[in-house]
Amino acid sequence: MERINTITLETALPAVFLGAENDEPVCNSEVWMRRLDIRRPGQYLIIAESGTGKSSLCSFIYGSRHDYHGTIRFNDTDISKLSVRDWCEVRRRHISLLPQEMRLFPELTAMENILIKNRLTDHYTQREIMDLLARVEIDHKADQRAGLLSIGQQQRVAIVRALCQPFDFIILDEPVSHLDTRNNGIVAQLVSEVAARHDAAIIATSVGNHLRLDSPQTIHL
Amino acid sequence: MSTKKTGNLLWRLLRKNISAGQIAGYALANLIGLAIVLSAVRFYGDVRSAFESDDSFVRKDYLVISKQVSALKTIGMGGETTFSPREVSRIEDQPWVRNVGAFTAADFNVYMSVELGGRGMSTYMFFESIPDNFLDISPEDWKFNPDTPEVPIIMSKDYLTLYNFGFAASRNMPQLSETVMARVPLTVTLSGNGQKMSLPGRIVGFSSRLNTLAVPEQFMEWANARFSDPANRPDPSRLIVEVNTPGDPAINKFMRKYGYEIAGDKADNSRANYFLTLVTAIVIAIGAIISVLAFFILMLSIFLLLQKNRQKLHDLMLLGYSPSQAARPYYTLVIAVNVCVLVISFIIMEIAAVWWAPRLADIGIVNGSPWPAVATGFAIMIVVTLANLLTIRRLVRRNF
Repeated sequence: MERINTITLETALPAVFLGAENDEPVCNSEVWMRRLDIRRPGQYLIIAESGTGKSSLCSFIYGSRHDYHGTIRFNDTDISKLSVRDWCEVRRRHISLLPQEMRLFPELTAMENILIKNRLTDHYTQREIMDLLARVEIDHKADQRAGLLSIGQQQRVAIVRALCQPFDFIILDEPVSHLDTRNNGIVAQLVSEVAARHDAAIIATSVGNHLRLDSPQTIHL
Repeated sequence: MSTKKTGNLLWRLLRKNISAGQIAGYALANLIGLAIVLSAVRFYGDVRSAFESDDSFVRKDYLVISKQVSALKTIGMGGETTFSPREVSRIEDQPWVRNVGAFTAADFNVYMSVELGGRGMSTYMFFESIPDNFLDISPEDWKFNPDTPEVPIIMSKDYLTLYNFGFAASRNMPQLSETVMARVPLTVTLSGNGQKMSLPGRIVGFSSRLNTLAVPEQFMEWANARFSDPANRPDPSRLIVEVNTPGDPAINKFMRKYGYEIAGDKADNSRANYFLTLVTAIVIAIGAIISVLAFFILMLSIFLLLQKNRQKLHDLMLLGYSPSQAARPYYTLVIAVNVCVLVISFIIMEIAAVWWAPRLADIGIVNGSPWPAVATGFAIMIVVTLANLLTIRRLVRRNF
């Protein structure tokens, strides 16, 4: 699969909003029932209120949910045509996702949670992963079981895990909801650096605590 | 980072909720089922070898049949004892018949003399011939050449026994072994159709299948052409039938219906074989049912396991794991359990075979080949394992 340059949404609508096209939140949305092109490189901040379908949007683009109407395309390919094999390839090489609930395995340590992703992509050495953990100031928690970490620490482990692959787009679903301003800045800096290295786009969602990107294009969901 | 270590990571993550009890239950149930099936197949193979060796006591794939001689026939008032071509083809049409051969009777007089220990002995005799493929022995000299005529004869073992223990014992005659018998020079005098000729003859073998004095078909054709009237050739009065399901009750029913008789007690042997086949089939069926139930236990257990680990499998696939990568720990588990079950089943089968071998040897049966049973074991396990793996794959994919 070639690199994804554009993610296009065309009159996309979550199935739950069907029949409510003229009501809030759909009628004021810059995403639903519109045409939206997300191009790389770039920085996008999707600002949403709770219940407007923010996490649904992430899941649709990531192929883990299909309960929408309309069309979503990678370049010119309708993603509803992708096979399981294609999606595996997309998730390993083209799109990285940080889910809002982070989805760490609580019985594994922070490092193991990252390695279980990194073994698929073979993207970093263990040394480099330690450096990344050090950047977000949780290297001392590497051998701590993920279930025992605070939510803020888990969020940073999950961000490092999301960076352990090549990507064209990185989707961060409320990446800093549990981080203070200083850590917000550190994370934004790190993600921007890595994304720039991959010539990739950052798509971050937020219900209030925005990831502090330099000059993001803001989209209201 | 080594594959081994990451493999362990996945295993550590997914082994949770594996019920050792359920797996052990499956393994035990499948072990019992498979061990029964394999032992039965092995036992059948061993005992079956007795049926397949030519000279064995249970040999009965061949039946010699004739018509019952009625009182009317004895006083010369009808009741044919020969088989007409129509009757032969009716027998050939029976589903249990593989092959039918006719006994060709000599339509001439046979007078045989022998020199034994200085005493001459001579008697009227008879000859019959059957197609060579119905013979249970194939002696080297079983051929006839009209240029250097010598008559090879296969004699029924029963006749030798009759002579040794009936005639010779009561008349103070020497008892004869098969080897000695084969060395005795015979003089065969053939006459009929206004001609007469003496030829040397020799016993070349003893048959336990045929109760007759058999000569090669070539000789019979040659002699019949010379010493009998070709226009007056009778139909065969005895047939040899190769059957494919020995002991099939349909055979006896057919024989009774048309008033045919089966020579000797071969029909009883047939029944023994039929019974063996039936019992083996029942035992194999029981083993198979247990195995099938065990298979469903495992399926159910896997189903519950995957249900409980659904979220984890889903999360792994969110990270980019393919369904088969995520399922690999379960594949490994199923293959390991099944291989253990198979190996232990083979061991149980072997122990059973070692147990019955001397007991069968006592009644003259040597062990058959273990390979059919081994092949059966592998075939069953490959099918079961593939079914397991496909189910796992399908269930995991559903979580994608």
